[in-house]
Amino acid sequence: MADVRTVAAPTAMLFTLGLVCFTEPGFAQQPDTSAQRPDSTLSAEALKKLSIEQLMNLQVTSVSKRPERLSQTASAIQVITRDDMRRSGASSLPEVLRLATNLQVAQVDARQWAISARGFNSTTANKLLVLIDGRTAYTPLFSGVFWDVQEVPLTDVDRIEVISGPGATLWGANAVNGVINVITQGAKQTQGLLLSGGGGTEQRAFGTVRYGGALGSSVRYRIYGRGFGREATALPSGQDAADDWHLGQGGFRMDWDASNVNRVTLQGDLYDGRIAQRSAGDITVGGGNVMAKWSYTISDRSSLAAQLYYDRTHRHIPGTFGEDLDTYDVDLQHRARLGVRHDVVWGLGYRLSNDRVANSSALAFLPPQVARQWFTGFVQDEIALVPNRLHVALGSKIEHNDYTGFEIQPSGRVNWGLSPSGTLWAAVSRALRTPSRIDRELFAPAQPPYFLAGGPGFHSEAELAYELGYRHQQGSLALSVATFYSRYYGLRSLEQVNPPAASPLVIGNGQDGESFGAEVTAEYWLTNRWRMRAGYTELRVHVWPKPGSTDTSRGAAESHTPDRQFFLQSSVALPAHLGFDAGFRAIDDITNQQVPAYAELNAKLAWQPSSKLDLSLVGQNLLHRRHAEFGAPAARRDIERGVYGAVEWRF
Amino acid sequence: MALLSASFAPADRRRGVRRVAEAAILASALLLVRGAGLAGQTVQAPEYQVKAVFLFNFAQFVDWPAAAFADSATPLVIGVLGDDPFEGFLDQTIRREQVRGRGFQVQRYHNVGEIKTCHILFISRATGARLDEVLANLRNRPILTVSDDAGFAERGGMIRFVTDQHRIRLQINLGAAQAASLTVSSKLLRVADIVTPRGR
Repeated sequence: MADVRTVAAPTAMLFTLGLVCFTEPGFAQQPDTSAQRPDSTLSAEALKKLSIEQLMNLQVTSVSKRPERLSQTASAIQVITRDDMRRSGASSLPEVLRLATNLQVAQVDARQWAISARGFNSTTANKLLVLIDGRTAYTPLFSGVFWDVQEVPLTDVDRIEVISGPGATLWGANAVNGVINVITQGAKQTQGLLLSGGGGTEQRAFGTVRYGGALGSSVRYRIYGRGFGREATALPSGQDAADDWHLGQGGFRMDWDASNVNRVTLQGDLYDGRIAQRSAGDITVGGGNVMAKWSYTISDRSSLAAQLYYDRTHRHIPGTFGEDLDTYDVDLQHRARLGVRHDVVWGLGYRLSNDRVANSSALAFLPPQVARQWFTGFVQDEIALVPNRLHVALGSKIEHNDYTGFEIQPSGRVNWGLSPSGTLWAAVSRALRTPSRIDRELFAPAQPPYFLAGGPGFHSEAELAYELGYRHQQGSLALSVATFYSRYYGLRSLEQVNPPAASPLVIGNGQDGESFGAEVTAEYWLTNRWRMRAGYTELRVHVWPKPGSTDTSRGAAESHTPDRQFFLQSSVALPAHLGFDAGFRAIDDITNQQVPAYAELNAKLAWQPSSKLDLSLVGQNLLHRRHAEFGAPAARRDIERGVYGAVEWRF
Repeated sequence: MALLSASFAPADRRRGVRRVAEAAILASALLLVRGAGLAGQTVQAPEYQVKAVFLFNFAQFVDWPAAAFADSATPLVIGVLGDDPFEGFLDQTIRREQVRGRGFQVQRYHNVGEIKTCHILFISRATGARLDEVLANLRNRPILTVSDDAGFAERGGMIRFVTDQHRIRLQINLGAAQAASLTVSSKLLRVADIVTPRGR
């Protein structure tokens, strides 16, 4: 495998240098008027070229407020805006996540997705934290996400923040390699009636009704209902894979501005769905959540936020297993500015989950029912060494879980504004993936003699991550480079209990690993109507057995990740209220699954004849009749080309 | 379960990878050094600079009745009532600009009585308590009133800048604009929140 290292280093060098050349013309464009007001004259010209939508998408800074917290800016963050979502023609949350080029997103079949950041991707990817309005979408079953029941109505989403790299200090135990933070709009932004619907070949039919209104002068609310049916994928032979499915969902949100300093939000969702299986009865999924949030502005320098939620989810997969999970969670966060230099945020959290599994003869979680508790606390101090130029954030999360007791996840981040347009950041973090049920309690078959006999000794997987990044924004160009090196200790392994006997196996921490690479994104407005975005990620993951381990898989069960991926998106506003968007992606092969490299194209033509009506035609995966994105050959499904039309009315 | 489908992977790649990571980090450091020497401009634009550009854009998205201009040479006047928060950005934005053949002019007013010819009026937050009085005075005159003030659009103003999550959104009281014989383009309405004052 000498080619890997001999090729990777020059590649990294080359494309970084290429970027330097790429940015050069931007610098050269400075007009001589800059002498007068070097930082603003130019941008006044650049700003005037922007459309109203672009102006509205711009981050503004004001003297009193800092634009963002360092914890976010000193990390590889990408933000998917409403506009991006609308333009992409994506019909589900996982599809939208393809717009974050620092994620690895692969569609597995009609309902399953493998989504991760910085490698370690699988259908049970366990190193990525997903939050929807602060509610975790994590299942303690495998520390991952069942994507088929995270069907947030995209019309309600304000933005999605995607951080690749550890976010464990502030976010939580699952944020080893990334955080996805889905933030929906306030009820105030969704007033009036919205009707949308459509259908096509793969997105068979879908519809949403939403109504937003006011109760008195300080309470706004919205309610919604939606449903969809999605077509089955194909078997490699071309036959129908019979995994078509449908889901219905409804929900509400109510925002109460109790006073200038007190805000209360109540929100909730209910869903119910049915997914066909080829060889057994339909999978049924259902559940709901309800959440209360309170934020209190104590003063200019201090604020408090609290949230409380309950989430219930049910899943029954005939022939495999069933699960009923109840989660209760409460979090408190306080932020205070101390003196002129310190910005401190600290918080406390408690979570209780009650998980009941219905086992099958093939595999079993033993014991079938467990209740687990998590206690967390975190503190982070952001110190302005040179205010607005050089900031350092130091912090740690302390967690207590029922499996491994106390765990500490510290991080240090630096943000250095080299110039008003360029920011350099660096971070060192320790993050942990604490055990989940699959690591400790999975047995196969359900009765002894076991082939797989749980993981009684499994402890947390640990990561030490080093990151270095640079962000640049100049006029109509925005550029970001993030590089990283991570070392992993005690990755999950399968250990032979009585070697050389192949069975039984237990789950252990017998593997170490490392990952490194670079994520580059660029956004450029060619004219004020035409935007191009490009993203490129180069990534290597290596896993090896620790001395004494009998696992020789080299991480083949833990990480299915392409070495590189490339994205290019073009968005053009055409005359006559037309808009055309195209998104191209090229994904390298997944070597350990023998999934070939592929390239695909999505396109959307939209017509907005009035401010109340949107019509669109979307083509998905247009380049091939069908292609595979993920999965071992035997279990693989092909994703087919799809076309759908959609209408949206707002009153 | 993926865990159960463990297979076997190729040979050790561990050695030398750290060298690659170092190279990547070094290469980006190189980029930084390059970037550091170059003077740039703001990463995130200052709030009032963006607002100045919004005001400038409004001139293109609003139609005034012919009577609002004395003749074809009358410039389009953007006024600021009260303390000027723009720090010169407004003057800078409209310099040498034209809209439909007209030049621009910035005027500053201390009280509403001074306002004669004016097309777009930014009402400073400092006007505060006197806002109702100011709006009553301007009612039905073809002047596009704009402010940051909370409740501005509900109280009879036409466009309010709302800064939300560090982004600027627009609230438009379409009724007030129509009452003043102003036509607001659908391009602007499409991106704005339409506000209907209470009691209507």
